[in-house]
Amino acid sequence: MLVRDILEESVQKFGKVNAVKWLNRKEISERSYYEMMKNAVSVRKGLLAEGFEGKHIALIGTSSVEWIESYIGIITGCTTAVPLDAALPWEDLVELINRSDSAALFLSPKHRPYLQAFLENCPGLQKIWMLQEEVEDAPEKVYSISELRNAGNNASADAVCPDKEDIATIIFTSGTTGKSKGVMLTQNNLASNVEAVKISAEPGTVMLSVLPIHHAFCLVMDWLKGFSQGATICINDSLLHMVRNMSIFEPDIMLMVPMMIETIYKKLAASDPSIPKKVLAEKVFGKNLRTIFTGGAHLDPYYIDCFAQYGIQILEGYGMSECSPVISNNTPENHKPGSIGRPLENVEVRFDNGEILVRGTSVMKGYYQMPEETKEALKDGWLHTGDKGYMDEDGYLFINGRVKNLIILSNGENVSPEEIENKLALNPLVGEVIVTGEKNGLTARIYPEQAVVEAKALDADSVQRLLQSFLDEYNQNQPTYRQITGLVVRKNPFIRNTTKKIRRQDVLIDEPLA
Amino acid sequence: MNQEMKFKNIVAQYSNVAPEEITNNMRFREDLGFSSLDFMSFLGELEDTFDIELEESEVMKIVTIGEALELLDNFQ
Repeated sequence: MLVRDILEESVQKFGKVNAVKWLNRKEISERSYYEMMKNAVSVRKGLLAEGFEGKHIALIGTSSVEWIESYIGIITGCTTAVPLDAALPWEDLVELINRSDSAALFLSPKHRPYLQAFLENCPGLQKIWMLQEEVEDAPEKVYSISELRNAGNNASADAVCPDKEDIATIIFTSGTTGKSKGVMLTQNNLASNVEAVKISAEPGTVMLSVLPIHHAFCLVMDWLKGFSQGATICINDSLLHMVRNMSIFEPDIMLMVPMMIETIYKKLAASDPSIPKKVLAEKVFGKNLRTIFTGGAHLDPYYIDCFAQYGIQILEGYGMSECSPVISNNTPENHKPGSIGRPLENVEVRFDNGEILVRGTSVMKGYYQMPEETKEALKDGWLHTGDKGYMDEDGYLFINGRVKNLIILSNGENVSPEEIENKLALNPLVGEVIVTGEKNGLTARIYPEQAVVEAKALDADSVQRLLQSFLDEYNQNQPTYRQITGLVVRKNPFIRNTTKKIRRQDVLIDEPLA
Repeated sequence: MNQEMKFKNIVAQYSNVAPEEITNNMRFREDLGFSSLDFMSFLGELEDTFDIELEESEVMKIVTIGEALELLDNFQ
């Protein structure tokens, strides 16, 4: 089965059902399965007509109907989709466009200010399509999405079905070495993950999509899984409006990262206790919400009990981009609080010194143009997840630690501390720096460069102030998940091991070295 | 209830600090313990409570209570 087969079946079964709903100047707009697929096919044929067969096509933008139609157009044809994080600074996006060898780009209108930078710094880009109907004053190589669709509509040839083992998408994920890695997922990887997650929903079931669309969890489970069930996926236009949009769209099901559950909990806990729980639940979640699927980071089981009192079932799962992404999940029928559920039927799990290893049809082909990293992660077909865990006697998986040095924030973002440390270390006042992750954010622990402190005769307050203003400046250009929200100025250098590397397990110790 | 008190009551929903103890130089994330999502949800609540529309790219630069109050004043 290919994603194309799954979607074509959905169009046949649910053609007139709304596939997508979104807000357009406070009015709800909608697109049926039939209309959505018609646009996706136009994009697919357009890409073929424009000579992009076999090429990589990048997408930059937050969730929109044009984004998802273009994505489907790419992956159902003979092209590979490279969805990128729209919140990244333009320099990082340029690097990823170039490193993924993308030959074309779909760009949201909001990112128009980056256009010139992409045109100047991405020599491989042959065309850029803006994700909007019309584009005024378009520079050379830049077109509107409707121009591509028209090219597709006027072409007679359609792309043949891709092969099961063709790369459907490359998804970038944080690497432990500080360089993000492009996870190559095949057609079969995506389709088998969609099929192996046993969640059924009635056609027209309403889902509100609040996660970033370039993440595998959102892309595969909100969108592709939702489409396979005939669900109506509603777009959350901004995280500012998540709660408001829950009242507007009244979803039945939502996918969230733990941080969202924690934020909603704060609102519930701060409400007037005399308000009946049922009334409060309707006010906060909308009338229909029954189930929240969560993953991406650990969720304290406390929230599961708490939300149950409001009639909401939270079901936790586990996954990573490398597994397309779901590895295990709790289901309405089979669940255990604190566990991450049972492994999917297409997944084998074993343990190596406590580390969870995974094998199966959802496991990636490798990292794009990173043979060393691929060899390290995939050994004899087994993916080394970097997470430590165990399985109980009923077959439920539990996680109890990490092997790799990667910070998992409660918003599900994986952050490589080295990547940020390398940037912070460029400041002359930063002698040594280690970034640690607390539940909701990152803390920089800095030992000031003593030569600079002495040369400028800085006292402790001045050092603190200068480092804080440096961090404030750094934060301005970073997505929220990479911002440093805590600063600890150390009195002593970090403890190092025999090979002179800083001992990360001892970074909280700040004592004179022996 | 005046605007500032209404504002601080909303802040207090997301923090362990009581409304009367919230001062203008406090930072949302560092001093009041807001997560990035708490902050966004809080901004959405400001929009609904004070019937204003915030520009996401602008408001994400706000760091302190004083800056947020100033922004609110600009709408009056």
